[in-house]
Amino acid sequence: MTKVLPDPAKRAMLLTALYIAQEQYGSLTPDALERVSARLGISPAQVYETATFYSMFRTQPAGRYVLQVCEGLSCYLADGAENLAAYIQNKLHICPGETTTDGLFTLQMVQCLASCSSSPAMRVNDTLYENLTADRVDMLLDELRGG
Amino acid sequence: MANVNVVINGIAGSVPAGTTVLEAARQLHVDIPTLCDHPAIQPIGACRMCLVEIEKQRTLQPACTFPVSEGIVVKTDTPATMNARRFVLQLLFSERNHFCMFCQMSGSCELQTQAYKHGLDSWRYDRAFPVLPLDATRQYFIMDHNRCILCRRCIRACDQLVGNATLGLKHRGANTMIIADMDVPFGESSCISCGTCLQVCPTGALIDRASAYLGATAEVKRVKSTCTHCSIGCGTELVMRDDRVIRIEGDWTAEPNHGLICEMGRFQPLNDKRAPVTKPMVKEADGWHETSLQAALERVATNLKTGKVTTVVSGLATNEAAQIIAKRFPGAKQLMEGQAPAVTSSPLKDMDAADLFIVVNTDVAHEYPVASFAIKRSVHLRGARLYLVGDTGDSMQPWTSRSIQEAQIDALLPIIEGAQNPVIICGKKGEALAMKIAKVVTGIKIVDLAPAGNTMGLVQAGIRQQFSANGFDTCYILAAEAQDAPQELLEACAQAKFTAVQASYKQPWMDIAQVILPTPVSHLKCGTFVNFEGKTGVVNAAAACNANGEAQVLEQLANLL
Ligand code: SF4
Ligand code: SF4
Ligand code: FES
Ligand code: FES
Repeated sequence: MTKVLPDPAKRAMLLTALYIAQEQYGSLTPDALERVSARLGISPAQVYETATFYSMFRTQPAGRYVLQVCEGLSCYLADGAENLAAYIQNKLHICPGETTTDGLFTLQMVQCLASCSSSPAMRVNDTLYENLTADRVDMLLDELRGG
Repeated sequence: MANVNVVINGIAGSVPAGTTVLEAARQLHVDIPTLCDHPAIQPIGACRMCLVEIEKQRTLQPACTFPVSEGIVVKTDTPATMNARRFVLQLLFSERNHFCMFCQMSGSCELQTQAYKHGLDSWRYDRAFPVLPLDATRQYFIMDHNRCILCRRCIRACDQLVGNATLGLKHRGANTMIIADMDVPFGESSCISCGTCLQVCPTGALIDRASAYLGATAEVKRVKSTCTHCSIGCGTELVMRDDRVIRIEGDWTAEPNHGLICEMGRFQPLNDKRAPVTKPMVKEADGWHETSLQAALERVATNLKTGKVTTVVSGLATNEAAQIIAKRFPGAKQLMEGQAPAVTSSPLKDMDAADLFIVVNTDVAHEYPVASFAIKRSVHLRGARLYLVGDTGDSMQPWTSRSIQEAQIDALLPIIEGAQNPVIICGKKGEALAMKIAKVVTGIKIVDLAPAGNTMGLVQAGIRQQFSANGFDTCYILAAEAQDAPQELLEACAQAKFTAVQASYKQPWMDIAQVILPTPVSHLKCGTFVNFEGKTGVVNAAAACNANGEAQVLEQLANLL
């Protein structure tokens, strides 16, 4: 028998549940969201609301590597955000939000990654890369392609 | 809670600690403009219209969410607050489409009213003017995202009052939009068309199809009434232009519903497509003819005086009509929809304190929707549990802990005994089992709902018998708007020597009657009803109680007997 929890308790678990679902399903597909909704007893609308609010959740399938380029203020001032994003776009021929045809890379612009002191920063899946330059991006992408 | 001293715009007062600045200001008769705030739902401070200056606070604070504390000093009408509000309005007006002259809410819109109040006569910022979709997939009302100010009143009302939690947001910042479920068309969502969101929307974003462009606040009048469609008897407000009801809303001040009504009460009365009875009609050898009231009444009276009469009254009839029948009609008087509850029911308000609901043999979501809202919001927000027993329909499934058969009831008893405030919800069909449970679990509350809007009133008037198909050859049916006449009633009266029906709609009565008399539909009736709690509600007074009123026709008929 499922225990019925009051609203604040359920909502407190939502972020973690979505995070787990995203790991299991690859992205927050309608199936994944419905499962979270049923399991926690939170309405579909409220689950969807949270899933689409945070940039670290994705409702669309993504490539094997999700490149999240920080466009927060520090990274911007460190001459990173725009240049870094433009460099990756040219190199991979995708715009933010798109995935390469080989299904390997998805590019995303996100807000502050809490790495301002070593900006510009980019997160690739669960790993943070700091002090990025064009050379380091080249190396990183080659490495990912190889691995 | 202890009171604290507050000073707002130099006016001193004393209010309970924890009161918001906005509520405190209202108590001191100081007006603070608001947009996202609504008295029936929790404040969230989304719009920033209510910003005020508070001593010792570094920045302006939203009055709707800021709690007062001892010695708080507030100013609501300084140059800083005025500028902040104008800034908020300028941003709102530049964000989406607020060309008021084309909007059906113009004249009733809270955003527009604030703009006038604050002297907005031009756009200070470029308009973003995105062209957003319009969702017209729901039967009774439309969502125009272009007029939405994202105050989230609709979301909160659906969540906190109805407990349906159909609505939400998607995305963030400038891309934020109101959605239903996981962004499906509203008409395909879990929405139950209660229209609560429509009633609380301050702008032209949610549009009532029936009353759009039919009259702004200044052109309509509001008449308090009572919904008669089920025995909860919700308080309503009839929004009237001239003598026409253009819209029905829930009355926020009314017990037992506190502003909520359902699809049946809000929309169906104005969308009933059945053919109405407009004139008295008699059936001759060559078919149906309209006739004068006098001629029709005389024919009915002659038959009632000579026949062996049974009068069957629907619970959609008024007390006044029932009393005339009870006192002045010959023969037996019977209830069309069944008998009144055998249990003295607990009031609806007890449901908001319950931690366990047991619904017995009642499709509460369809038969008594406003009671189902209390269950839904209690489960959803307070973590109450819901058990369904027997035949209960499947609309409550998402809120249900467990469904069981009647025979399994013993397994449920320990759970009920362990609850603090268990409440049983039933109607006639669940009553026996409810009483059985109440014998074991002392102190359990039973909300026992009557089979029709005014069954309680009919019983008080002296009409107590269940309908029985035997022992009459002449039949008078006060059907009012009744939809589902019992098959055995139709069959018995079709066999009778004479049948007269007083009804709002022609069918199924034309198939069985010889005379049909008109009676007003519920929102045009005048009279009183008694709800399941035994409280008397006044219906309408919308139309004058003229000679064609329900009781008035019966009075004339009784005078001929
Ligand atoms: S639809 Fe109306 S109530 Fe809902 S957020 Fe928009 S303006 Fe507010
Ligand atoms: S009509 Fe009722 S159920 Fe539907 S979205 Fe509005 S408040 Fe929710
Ligand atoms: S702004 Fe990029 S890490 Fe903080
Ligand atoms: S009314 Fe206070 S923030 Fe909207």
